Amino acid sequence: MVGTAPFPCRTTDYLFLTQCEGWISQNAVYFNHVWLAIMYHFLQTGIHRVRALCRILRLTFLMEETAETHFKQAYEHPNFIRVSLQKKEVLAGCCVLATCRQHSWPIAMGTICCLLEANPRLIGVVYQEMVKTLKIEAPPTSIINLLETHCQAYKLSPQHVHEELSESSKDLTKRAAVLLELAADAWLVTGRQPIPILTASIFLAWQSLKPTQTRLKYTLARFCQMAKVTKSSIAPKRVTELKEVLCKLGQELPWLRGDEVTPQTVIQMVDDILNHRLTLLRRALSSHEEALASESVLPPSLEDSIPGSHTNTTCLEGAVSSQTPGQTPKDPFVGEPDTVSVQQQGDVDLTCTVVMEGLPHTGPGTDSQHSQPSVPNSGKRSLFEPPSVRYAKIRRVLVPVVEVTGDEEISDSEIDSYIRTPQEIRDYVEAKEALASSDDEF
Amino acid sequence: MDEDSALDDPIANVPVSTLHVQYFDDPIANVSVSISGTDCQCQGDYESSQCSGPSYLSSLSQPEKDVGKDLDLSFLPEETSGNDASNANVTQDSGVFDACRQEESAETDPKKVAMPGASTFCPMTPVIPVAESSGIIPMLQNIVSTVNLACPLDLKSIALQARNAEYNPKRFDAVIMRILEPRTTALIFSSGKMVCTGAKSEELCHLATRKFARVVQKLGFPAKFLDFKIHNMVASCDVCFPIRLEGLLLDHQQFSSYVPELFPGLIYRMVKPRIVLMIFVSGKVVLTGAKERREIYDAFENIYPILKGFRKQ
Repeated sequence: MVGTAPFPCRTTDYLFLTQCEGWISQNAVYFNHVWLAIMYHFLQTGIHRVRALCRILRLTFLMEETAETHFKQAYEHPNFIRVSLQKKEVLAGCCVLATCRQHSWPIAMGTICCLLEANPRLIGVVYQEMVKTLKIEAPPTSIINLLETHCQAYKLSPQHVHEELSESSKDLTKRAAVLLELAADAWLVTGRQPIPILTASIFLAWQSLKPTQTRLKYTLARFCQMAKVTKSSIAPKRVTELKEVLCKLGQELPWLRGDEVTPQTVIQMVDDILNHRLTLLRRALSSHEEALASESVLPPSLEDSIPGSHTNTTCLEGAVSSQTPGQTPKDPFVGEPDTVSVQQQGDVDLTCTVVMEGLPHTGPGTDSQHSQPSVPNSGKRSLFEPPSVRYAKIRRVLVPVVEVTGDEEISDSEIDSYIRTPQEIRDYVEAKEALASSDDEF
Repeated sequence: MDEDSALDDPIANVPVSTLHVQYFDDPIANVSVSISGTDCQCQGDYESSQCSGPSYLSSLSQPEKDVGKDLDLSFLPEETSGNDASNANVTQDSGVFDACRQEESAETDPKKVAMPGASTFCPMTPVIPVAESSGIIPMLQNIVSTVNLACPLDLKSIALQARNAEYNPKRFDAVIMRILEPRTTALIFSSGKMVCTGAKSEELCHLATRKFARVVQKLGFPAKFLDFKIHNMVASCDVCFPIRLEGLLLDHQQFSSYVPELFPGLIYRMVKPRIVLMIFVSGKVVLTGAKERREIYDAFENIYPILKGFRKQ
């Protein structure tokens, strides 16, 4: 019987134990042995799972050992001994993840999610608890390091796909790394999940390395299917954002002579854009500044120029003017010198700000072109900003706070309005009984 | 200590390391400098420092005494006394996480700090006044408080008689009651304890809790109003510039937790005051875990210079 206790369904070990409380008290020693045996059984299962994960990920022997040690320590810790079986399964993956991070082995949490087929949130919770419990330092991997590992998952060699569609992992990684750096500079990476942006960079890299009509016709979904990689619902949005950034830079290519660069046509130019991206960035920023300078001549009908600012905050000019206009081209342009003059003008118009903040940006070209004065935010926007700033959520109109001491008199009538009349109580009771009886009929 | 006495003498009970000028007064005209000498190590530092004039030390030993409107500069070194236009740039010294720097930076002449940008003098203990601060005031969004009504309650009867109550014992064993003005929600337990959430200021929270207690009273229970206490305050604000969270994580690893796979914001656990800040790439900051409004303001003033450092990178 020891070690072969049946567990027909996924239940918490703790529940099982409480149900057995009555028996346990009578035969304490025996059931203690049983309990220990059950725990040992699951420990062994967990260790096997850890080993399997390490083998799938082709980790070194040392890393496998470390992961096992972590798992044993965590499993036997009071924080984890009584958690559900599901959490124990996830714990195995979290130990592997922590080990990888400690050894600077780039692996994303999303990969562990896929391998365990578990809820990412649950993995996050268990991972953080485990790190806290074991007091280990597991520095997260940077996104560039993750790129190479992620690239290798894409089956694009000539053996797997048609020659026209194939691409070597090395070339793909190189091109995707540059695109990723560009995305990071343009605020597309901070605060976002890494895997969709990695997928988007690799997809655009693949398209741009050989921008034939065949490749350009491929959608992201089809590409993922071909490369045998899991589809992501967020990656298409990242592709759009990255294309927007490329369009902004592509616009500055001198040999285009002012032709419009659309997301459809930009892929062919990616090669040129990436090769000269520093120059293009500089040019884009300066033309954006010029566009803003010409706009500031117009009287701003509605204020609040700072992107995404709240109605309840007022930035002192000291805060903005401390920023120097001259910046290295690599850095994204944040804020503009001429916003200072606008801030000096006075109070923010509350309702207008609230309404306007929710308006989406009108398009990629608008930034560097002349914006309508009726849309205050876009005119003063910087060239690159985090999308959460550009597409800010519509905020609820703030009700002005009334001065209150907290000790005011409370009127009886107000309190009475919260209490049911006797008639209402009778009606309610009758309705409840009627409902209860109609339920009984079924 | 309730809000009224706090406004009268806000500095009296503040520990040395978080000494600040009153937020709502003119920092130049009305300065009261008093320190609570609870931190012995701090006192040691002060005594061994240059700034050890007799009046300064006496003010150390009288923590509750309101030094009044007169500014006592005798503790400052000779060459800097009377130099109005000079002060250290406070923002450089606001690293309260560094323990030894913290002791140094806890006390100074507030008058000198009023001039932004002019920094020929670096006092031992800069104070962060309103004028040189960020100028942004975090807005309170939610306050959680508890009160003891001190009588057992029949939740079924409350749910039956009150219009604004919901009670589902299978889901949660408390009545959920809401009032419209101020827009708040209360959880009322059968033991007589009550939790009130949703108020946007301490006064509104107090008023709302009293209204809930009155409703319970009117329903026929001998409800009292004991041990009203605010447990948590949440505030938010916007620094108006995007922030490089990766850089912030690298520099302040011991306080920060940034896992974009799980949560888009960086979670910064400030040690003093003990506040948790959620910092987002858009520049929005959420501060939580405060028991008093001052803690929120202090925490924001501490983080603002740090965030400015990550603005252009």
